[in-house]
Amino acid sequence: MEIIRDLSRWRETPRGLFYRWWTIVITGLRQIAKTKLFRMLLFTAWTGGLAIAATGFLFSQSVSSGGWLESWATNFNVRFQAIVSAFTAFVLLFPEVCIGGFFTLIFWVHSMVGLLLSMVALTVLVPRLVTQDRATNALTVYLSRPLTSTDYLVGKLGIIVSVLALMWTGPLLAGWMLSMVFAPDRDFIVYSFKPLLHALLFNGIGLVSLALIALGVSAAGRTSRNTVMLWLGLWIVVGSIAKDREMPIWIRRASFSHNLSEIRQGVFKVETVFTDAVATLPLIDSKTVKSLTTAGRLTSATDFHGALWSLGALSALSLFVFLRKLRTE
Amino acid sequence: MNALVTEPAAALIGEPTTDPFIIEAVGLTKVYGAQRALSDVTLRVPPGTIGLLGPNGAGKSTFIKCLLNLETPTSGSAKVLGRDIRARNRASREKVGYSPEQDCHIAGMAGCEYVTYCGQLSGMPFQVARQRTHEILDLVGMGQERYRPVDTYSTGMRQRVKLAQALVHDPEVVFLDEPTNGLDPSGREHILNLIGALWSDLGISVIMSSHLLRDIERVCDRVIIIANGRVVEHSSIEALKNRHKRIVELNPASEPERFCSVLEQAGLTVSRLSNGKLRVESASDSIEWMLELMRSHNLPPAEIVANPDALHEMFIKSLAAGHGNHT
Repeated sequence: MEIIRDLSRWRETPRGLFYRWWTIVITGLRQIAKTKLFRMLLFTAWTGGLAIAATGFLFSQSVSSGGWLESWATNFNVRFQAIVSAFTAFVLLFPEVCIGGFFTLIFWVHSMVGLLLSMVALTVLVPRLVTQDRATNALTVYLSRPLTSTDYLVGKLGIIVSVLALMWTGPLLAGWMLSMVFAPDRDFIVYSFKPLLHALLFNGIGLVSLALIALGVSAAGRTSRNTVMLWLGLWIVVGSIAKDREMPIWIRRASFSHNLSEIRQGVFKVETVFTDAVATLPLIDSKTVKSLTTAGRLTSATDFHGALWSLGALSALSLFVFLRKLRTE
Repeated sequence: MNALVTEPAAALIGEPTTDPFIIEAVGLTKVYGAQRALSDVTLRVPPGTIGLLGPNGAGKSTFIKCLLNLETPTSGSAKVLGRDIRARNRASREKVGYSPEQDCHIAGMAGCEYVTYCGQLSGMPFQVARQRTHEILDLVGMGQERYRPVDTYSTGMRQRVKLAQALVHDPEVVFLDEPTNGLDPSGREHILNLIGALWSDLGISVIMSSHLLRDIERVCDRVIIIANGRVVEHSSIEALKNRHKRIVELNPASEPERFCSVLEQAGLTVSRLSNGKLRVESASDSIEWMLELMRSHNLPPAEIVANPDALHEMFIKSLAAGHGNHT
């Protein structure tokens, strides 16, 4: 053949394993970025990040001594000015309770939004992870190359973790950093750091467990439709059943969304924001104390350790399903 | 530095390989429950174009999959390009290409994207992989279809793109499982020419599994026959044919009756085939006696084919013997 004689040859040393993992991740991300729904979710997620930045910025600019709230209060009567002064004094005297509490609440709300968006994004992503590779025999393409099933697992986990990071971790960190750039003093950085660490801890738990569960679900289905149904069933149907407090504890723990919800309450400890406020801040009337105590009780975790173990078990089960199904057909 | 080297392919032919054998298997066995898909396969395969023959379910694909570690052998060991498939799992596949029998593609990807991706998975930098992708797609005869998603391809196109992904990273050995399935006659011709040229022009060894004996006979210089999970024959095609040089087929230009009677008078067993040809069993390895006979009886010219379907007959005989001689 004449044409074959002009073929170029490749005789370089092949690039390493990290490059191949990176190739799987970046190609997977490019594929999912082609879907409109994913782009919309990404836009919503980063709007959430901007909302954190805007809220944090407004809070820090408002409550700091000499901030615009104090300046604005001078336009009103003395009573209002006194309330504002007391409020800014609280921030000065009890920064951990005020700044820490405020950011805990922001991050807590954002964790709900981030988690929800991640779950929706995973609904789009899950069939594309392993299901389609199994249906089209693409597994053979991967495993006949210098890659092992562990490399395939790492690559696919990388895709999920990247998607969740884009939906959840990225906006969280960017929002916090933007709000801190314009913070009037160091206290805002120092006292918002602990809530940020809590948010990142929950984010990390969510990232790892959701990644493994999504992989397991994706490996379990042979068709995209079945995989999406299974994912939605586990997320929404089992999650709805688990919300019923009358249900036996093992049924409730079988829901990964319920477990994540419990872990969120346990990690953020939102109830301590309210109880600390009640215990520390002066001049709070009994009605407010009662409301804060009730809010604290409603947001506290009831089965933190059980949920943590159950989520770990569900993740391990998913990994087992993934490895069992990872055979070329 | 650009990793692609454009130089005459002939300069690279027969590049020294550290090992004289591309495949070495010792007691390779694969058992699925009660079924032995591969049974104690021991063989050493030199570089070249090797045909893998066997009836359905004989263990051809299992043998290839074991060599690629797509299936874990139950026992035994094997080396591909001198690298142990277990001890050097990834490395044993670095310079190996594989085009499986069944469709395999990544949903939603265009042909050129897919082949580039496969190149990258083998460790090629993106630019290099992209450049070679286009060259290889030209080579397998793909035009603008390369920019369409693979999901929309015809069977023939999928076959070509499968071959392209197996070749993109410039392997030293390529396993092709039924590479001409689903191709139209011209496409088949093109791909067979290409497969033949892989070894002769580029020095890429080919292990081609097929049930089409003519394809194997045309392209390969060696053949491995597998039956019931055992290697029942492993030899060069030339040697196989030499063992079988006792059949001659004649297609006389005219006077077939006189031809027949002359041959019978000479004491030969003649049978008439449905296509008008005469089939003669000969005691000699040569056809000189036949030419002499034609000259002496002034017979009209005839097309003479020595050892027609030698491979087919050897294949049938080997299967009938079926005990397995591991070479």
